[in-house]
Amino acid sequence: MAGEEAVGPPRNRSRMKALSKVRRYGLAMISCGIALAAAWPIDAPASCFLLAVTLSSLFGGLGPGLLSVGLSAIGFGYFFLGRTVPPAVEPAVFLRFAVFLIASSLITGVMEIKRRVEQSRNRAEEALRQAQSDLAHVSRVTTMGELTASLAHEVNQPIAAAVTDANTCLRWLNRDHPDVEEARAAALRIVKDATRAAEIISRTRLLFKKGTPQWELVDINEIIREMVALMRSEVTRHSISVRTELAEDVPQLTGDRVQLQQVLMNLMINAIDAMKDGDGTRELAVKSQRAENEQLMVSISDTGVGLPPQQADQIFNAFFTTKPHGTGMGLRISRSIIESHGGRLWAADNSPRGASFHLTLPVEAEAHE
Amino acid sequence: MATQAKAKLVAIVDDDELMRGALQGLLKAVGLPSRAFASAEEFLKSGQQHQTACLIADIRMPGMSGLELQAQLNAEHCRIPTIFITAHGDTKMRLQALRAGAVEFMAKPFDDEVLLENVRAALDS
Repeated sequence: MAGEEAVGPPRNRSRMKALSKVRRYGLAMISCGIALAAAWPIDAPASCFLLAVTLSSLFGGLGPGLLSVGLSAIGFGYFFLGRTVPPAVEPAVFLRFAVFLIASSLITGVMEIKRRVEQSRNRAEEALRQAQSDLAHVSRVTTMGELTASLAHEVNQPIAAAVTDANTCLRWLNRDHPDVEEARAAALRIVKDATRAAEIISRTRLLFKKGTPQWELVDINEIIREMVALMRSEVTRHSISVRTELAEDVPQLTGDRVQLQQVLMNLMINAIDAMKDGDGTRELAVKSQRAENEQLMVSISDTGVGLPPQQADQIFNAFFTTKPHGTGMGLRISRSIIESHGGRLWAADNSPRGASFHLTLPVEAEAHE
Repeated sequence: MATQAKAKLVAIVDDDELMRGALQGLLKAVGLPSRAFASAEEFLKSGQQHQTACLIADIRMPGMSGLELQAQLNAEHCRIPTIFITAHGDTKMRLQALRAGAVEFMAKPFDDEVLLENVRAALDS
């Protein structure tokens, strides 16, 4: 069975508040007017006024509720108890009026309490969203921290080559008869080494196969839920709705949790980036399902700008990016992670628009470097 | 050249192209013939292990690692003096390599003088 979950876009609250205030008080007066008109020929005025009070409190809150209590009381007293002042001619009628007042005030009170509870719950949800956004930030910084170790190793390689080449260059020059051609060849190698080191630093290149993965049994649905929760504030910020369809019968797999999280985060960030500047529906769909040959499949689809035309096969290349500040390593790293888990990662067009990324993972993946 | 190489050939096994180029260049500068291989498998397939007087190998490589290559050569009774050069060598790995007969275990970036001393010592042995 598939479990569905939707995160709606946030409403423009301040504008709505001002508009609805007028509307709510208007509603209280209109509902009392209608109650009066409806109750006029009938001899059950109290119930009609109670309905008016209920409606006003429900949709208006405390102020409009109390206003409608007051209006109802005046209407009730004036039109149904007669114009006698004081109206205590008949004790039964007076009692009826008192019961009406108490009942209508109670309704308003209860509605107000309900509204306050909801309000505090909204505030708690807001705080939760903030915490999630902070967490997403921290997690991204942590990912960068983890990159540093691999980065240092990758940079060390060409630097070691450069040191050796520089020493070699000096050896050719320090001879009694310096061999300029050989020295030049060594110098050219130094240029290559240094260029590579600089490239790695500027592109924050990472080769996961040389990291130290932590292989364990992981539940892909759990990872998806974690990442959807982490990205929640990010998607709400861009008015994107998230739909998850997670098949319950997906088996666990052996893999590196942090790496798989990073793949999902990369793909989701790409999807958000593809949608945040476009118009129309913004929907991020994450699905998991069982696939053939003891595999599971995860699909991440967006309704964004779609794959770059004529370059769809290049998006997985290192340093290929369509973003102004992209590193061009996200998809490359994602693919190498999935491949190191014995799976595949590919992209396709989404219908009617946007892009879809699909990945398969063997459910009995062997741990390997 | 061929007969000379047979006696004193230095083999380099490293998956990094820049590292292979640097090591070959260094050995050329001191007049030592060398052959470079991108993987342990390539080296084993070449049949050159029987003419190799000294082996300079990386530890971490895709496919067969440097330590696995050493074990394979030992199993073939092909004991080549081996110098390991690695970026992340821990003490345990170092001990394992030295116990299996490695001449030296060097961290990147390495001192070229020390490397050449080790190579010469291996060739003279």
